[in-house]
Amino acid sequence: MKRSYVSVALLLAILMLNIIATQYMVHQYFYENYTNTIGAAIINVILFPAAFFIYKKGVKIND
Amino acid sequence: MTDKNNKIPFNEDNYTHNINRNNERKLDRRGFMKTLVGAAGVFAVSSLPWGVLAAKELNGLGDKKYPKQKIIDVKSLPIGDAVDFYFPGEHDSAILIRLSDEKYVAYQNACTHLRCPVFWKKDEGEMLCPCHHGKFDVETGAPTAGPPRRPLPEIYVKVENGTVFAVGVKRYEA
Repeated sequence: MKRSYVSVALLLAILMLNIIATQYMVHQYFYENYTNTIGAAIINVILFPAAFFIYKKGVKIND
Repeated sequence: MTDKNNKIPFNEDNYTHNINRNNERKLDRRGFMKTLVGAAGVFAVSSLPWGVLAAKELNGLGDKKYPKQKIIDVKSLPIGDAVDFYFPGEHDSAILIRLSDEKYVAYQNACTHLRCPVFWKKDEGEMLCPCHHGKFDVETGAPTAGPPRRPLPEIYVKVENGTVFAVGVKRYEA
């Protein structure tokens, strides 16, 4: 069983992007830039299937 | 035969001999990745209401709509004078002040301290609440002196065909 930690690193990167997008979203809502808020929310939503995809790939290859 | 069934398999007095709890709480690579995906899911779900609220703001659904209401005719309100009216409800007292030929301002005139009525002092050019000497800036409704700390809610006015109408209330911003 050869382990690869590439997918783990990718998932950590996605988590970081999630945090950034959430912070941006909340701040842009406060400053009433609602288009930017919606953009950040969409990024957050899209990151979830991406994370799931990376997880599936990582599990299939390495286990 | 009888021997086989009559045997006590383990020399233990508990029933948990086959439960192995070693490393039960160890987080392996796969479990860690699952956690990360779950976190991404939580982020995704929690950002949905923000998107909905932002879309609502963009579509102007957050602003309350009131039917426009006639306040007074322009010719019966000299420059520098004020008139009381009620908007949007029949108990929401408000004041309209004509600052110049074209410029009108209107506020809900319940003082933001203890809701005493606020009056327009023409000679001093400011709005005064006589209860505790709270004063408000006539241009913006912002408090300038005394106990009140919040601005008076502004009412949007529009002049059409020589008549002043109240059309809406500015949203409260903390």
